[in-house]
Amino acid sequence: MEAKRILLVDDEEHIRLLFKEELEEEGYLIDLASNGLEALEKLKGQRFDLVVLDIKMPGMDGIQTLGEIKKTDKDQRVILCSAYGEFKQDFSSWASDAYVVKSADTSELKETIKRIVGA
Amino acid sequence: MSFASTLGKVIEISHSNLEIPSRIAAILNIISSDMRFEEVIVYTLDSDKRLSCRYMNRNSQLFDLLNNYRCHIGEGVVGTVAQKRTAQYFTLHNIPPRFGCLFYSKLDEVMARYKSSVFLPLADDSFLYGVLLACSASKEGVNDNDRLLLSILARELGGILCTFDLLLSSKKRIAELATLSDLGRVLTSTLEPHAILESIALITAKALNALFATIKLDLAFVKFDGKRFTSGAIEPALEAEVLRLEGEALRLRQPVSRTDDDMGRKENGPSVALFSVPIMAKDRVLGTITLCRKHEQKEITDNQEDWYLLNRIATYISSGLENALLNIKLRDALRELGDAQRRLIEHEKLRSLGEMTASIAHEIKNPLVVIGGFTKRLAKKARLDDSEGRYLEIISKEVARLESILTEVLNYVEESVLLFEVCDINDLLDEVLYLLGSDTGWENIRIIKTYNERLAPVMCDVQQIKQVFINILMNSFEAMHGKGSITIDIENAVLDQKSFVAVSLKDTGGGVQPSFIDNIFNPFFTTKERGSGLGLAISNKIVTHHGGDIEVKNTPGEGVTFTVYLPRKNMD
Repeated sequence: MEAKRILLVDDEEHIRLLFKEELEEEGYLIDLASNGLEALEKLKGQRFDLVVLDIKMPGMDGIQTLGEIKKTDKDQRVILCSAYGEFKQDFSSWASDAYVVKSADTSELKETIKRIVGA
Repeated sequence: MSFASTLGKVIEISHSNLEIPSRIAAILNIISSDMRFEEVIVYTLDSDKRLSCRYMNRNSQLFDLLNNYRCHIGEGVVGTVAQKRTAQYFTLHNIPPRFGCLFYSKLDEVMARYKSSVFLPLADDSFLYGVLLACSASKEGVNDNDRLLLSILARELGGILCTFDLLLSSKKRIAELATLSDLGRVLTSTLEPHAILESIALITAKALNALFATIKLDLAFVKFDGKRFTSGAIEPALEAEVLRLEGEALRLRQPVSRTDDDMGRKENGPSVALFSVPIMAKDRVLGTITLCRKHEQKEITDNQEDWYLLNRIATYISSGLENALLNIKLRDALRELGDAQRRLIEHEKLRSLGEMTASIAHEIKNPLVVIGGFTKRLAKKARLDDSEGRYLEIISKEVARLESILTEVLNYVEESVLLFEVCDINDLLDEVLYLLGSDTGWENIRIIKTYNERLAPVMCDVQQIKQVFINILMNSFEAMHGKGSITIDIENAVLDQKSFVAVSLKDTGGGVQPSFIDNIFNPFFTTKERGSGLGLAISNKIVTHHGGDIEVKNTPGEGVTFTVYLPRKNMD
């Protein structure tokens, strides 16, 4: 089975690195973007099975980016992954397929991804 | 003695520095010796406009006899002279003079000795001050010369009495003013009310020459209700009488008095009179001021000036008391304001602390995820010996702990939106208990739950309320060190006229130190070694958001009972 492609969007380099390594271990193909605009650029040319989107980012934040993505392709799967749980109350965040609170323990993130895109 | 020499002596004395009573007595002696009158007596007017003997010459025998009776103006010879302001002269051959309306047989006997008697009004152009009486055993009538001299002397005596009156009344007025100024000073002082009242009792007793003065308050709303402030000692025999008089003054709302005769105790104890005046505020009686004086025959209750002063004092006390009460109220209000301000500051501090905590927590979260994440990766990848592997494990665990603390902090700080739904608290608690009971640590906890079938449904955010009960139950679990019983009672309750479902959870964890109980809902307050201090704070916040309340009952040595009040579903 072909490996699933995931676009990982986060403004923090070390977080990107950590998640990339963790998820590659699970057999996913990972591409990276460090902000919302960059992510949207990448999405124009390529198809991803999933976008893992940080929320607090300079410039265009995750929630805005989510809106833009869903406007272009309402079937694009997106997981919001923030250090904070507070955005769960933001109705706009409900457009995402899942909301994961960032943690050193990446098991919840992995399980959520698996549930959404399959192994 | 010549006319001129007598007049000269009298004028000399009249203008001397002698005390006024001595001046009068000296003049009476001169009249007696120079003009050969064995009796020379001066009647003066009392405050009640009756005439009584006040001055006499040396060796006067009539004085004691006449002093037995005070005559009204117009009554007897003395009264008639006073009324008409004309002199009257009698000789033995005239009708014997009557001094009053009564016949004194003794007086008649004595009067029979005198061949002539003179009655002269002591007056100036506008006022009458008294009556001069002179009797002679040797003179057969009074000649024109004597009459002229006597009329001049009477005029002089009238002048002296007038001065005396003025002097006495100004002395009295000065004393009164001094008293009122003393009172004013006390009343405007910052003394405590009881000290003010004690001072007033003292000043009153002194000013009115009383055996004792006592102030009794009749204020149901003040803490010193029924208290008595006394200067001097109340004679035990008078206590009942004082109480009765005070009651009467309160009831009638006007001054009352009582003398020995009224009290029927003339034989036992000293002769006294009691006066009681109500202390009136605008619309109510605050109490009474009562004083006791020696019962002096000639100034009983008729002493207008003293009554006036006593009434004035009562008025002063009333305004002073009102001020004192106002002060107390003001002080209380000020204290409440201070408390409210402190609470507000405390609240603000907490809020800004919360905001700061949130921003710090946010900043820390990402680096923590990175540290923890890579530590895990390191542990997974590197081939490490036992101890190095354990170190990494410790780092991971500590990071996990930090993360959970951050989550709790953020949960507390963030205002959460409630997702209300109708729920049955019985079911909700069952789920919570099932969840907790599935942990093996709870094996030794006995849950005693009383179901209430007629429980009203509740509107709540089920997840959050579950969290509340989990927090409280975990708290009890830890207090009991995993062993004991928890009694849960659920009932419908009414609090401040609002309907609630009340869930009480009682543990056997030995309770909390009483000094801690007030802090139990404060964030970051914990008695546990590893607690974050947020569990109960969050629970309290959640319940408050629901419009409910949490109560804690602490029984040191036994346990703690938490009662959670959740608003019932509005049936409309």
